[in-house]
Amino acid sequence: MIRINLQPRNAWQQKVEELGFGFHSTEGTYWDESAAYIFKLKEIEAIETATNKIWEMCLEAVQHVIDNKLYTQFAIPSFMIPYIEKSWNDDVPSIYGRLDLGYANGQIKLLEFNADTPTSLYEAGIIQWFWLQEFDAKKDQFNSIHEKLIAYWRYLKPYLHEGILHFSCVKESLEDLTNVEYLRDCAMQAGLETKLIFIDEIGWDSNTQQFVDVEDESIKNIFKLYPWEWLANEAFGQNIVADKNNTHWIEPAWKMLLSNKAILTILWNLFPNHEYLLQTNYIANGMTNYVKKPLLSREGANVSIIKENNLIEETKGEYGEEGFVFQEYMNLENEFGFTALIGSWIIGGEAAGIGIRESKSKITDNTSRFVPHYIEH
Amino acid sequence: MKKSKHIQLVLITALLASCNTKKETEWSEGNKKVYLRSDSTAPYTRTHSPLLWYFAFRSFGMMNNGRYVHGGYHSNAIHPQSNFGSNGFKSNVSRGGFGRSGFRTGS
Repeated sequence: MIRINLQPRNAWQQKVEELGFGFHSTEGTYWDESAAYIFKLKEIEAIETATNKIWEMCLEAVQHVIDNKLYTQFAIPSFMIPYIEKSWNDDVPSIYGRLDLGYANGQIKLLEFNADTPTSLYEAGIIQWFWLQEFDAKKDQFNSIHEKLIAYWRYLKPYLHEGILHFSCVKESLEDLTNVEYLRDCAMQAGLETKLIFIDEIGWDSNTQQFVDVEDESIKNIFKLYPWEWLANEAFGQNIVADKNNTHWIEPAWKMLLSNKAILTILWNLFPNHEYLLQTNYIANGMTNYVKKPLLSREGANVSIIKENNLIEETKGEYGEEGFVFQEYMNLENEFGFTALIGSWIIGGEAAGIGIRESKSKITDNTSRFVPHYIEH
Repeated sequence: MKKSKHIQLVLITALLASCNTKKETEWSEGNKKVYLRSDSTAPYTRTHSPLLWYFAFRSFGMMNNGRYVHGGYHSNAIHPQSNFGSNGFKSNVSRGGFGRSGFRTGS
């Protein structure tokens, strides 16, 4: 993997906006085509292999947590536990997830799994694909996100309840809405009937004990870009388990286990010293170079990096109440002084493509730039 | 090849394209007219907004005894006559039980 500097396209802002990408510069530059990462095919194949293997290991880890009732490690509300188990045993549909991978010195390591509400899907699947078409259409890219999304929605169709598939997110975030509308776009192309509803507009009908949309139509299937830990702890949280429709929430409730950093300790215990894992525990356990991460946090908040027992970088935030994990530190800084992280997408249980986030800081957060990539055969 | 062979978007770009106001002639020639209403009991009127996709159909509502009561949808992009109809609130349905934990979920 190497990084090159490039001349951005003329009027690139207009070009990406025409694709519906309105948050390219929301907090400074976010979409950054003044650079690109180039991979060799064998490097991409290694990332693909690692992604598929880690996914398998994650599924084993979920089964292990359920079999051994390890929920206290995840700080999950007790009323949700039977519901999580049911969603796992019923194989409630899941569409996607994003593994955040460290890639350096030929090593690929799982940093964490954004299993519940991953974003940057549109940048990875659409924006960088169209960028490459203009840059050099003959070049390849690890990016079959779009066709895999359509194919998997089509595959899931018979497994959904009859009726509409609703899509939901907060109404204040254009980024969230773009991700959701993109997923809905793919579902529509797969032949599903869809409808958008913002998360605060979801209604609860106390007579019929079901969730309803703004036209009071039953919600039986819903993709929500809204974390399970938020849903469970809000006023309607208990209604999820009381719901007479047994609504399919996508991503399913069992993803609560995979999106929680506690899964990293489970993985390390199940697969100690595995080539794709970093040592992770609930205590620093003798490590001198490590990253302290909250069990539940978003966009790199409340993360601390300790090297030689000294704090070298940390981010602020509101997370950490549920506890922390301590993960062995992996230096991802390249020769250009950027820390680059690979977001490796899993769609329908298969590796589907990557997006790269880079920053000058060591912690990838919501200000890290999205940089496109291509494959040099 | 590791990349998608072909990409077509039916929702996002189609909506943006239909709301493009830069070519005023398209509107006057009678092409790509968009008629919208935000309430099924309100009349349709024509719409002229380039950011309709995001800004149209924001909901409105009110807090009542600590709970959010959805009133309907409105948009500054469409005519006021099309924003409000005659629907009343549905008594068995409460809203606002989700959505208070954050304003963005990106991860």
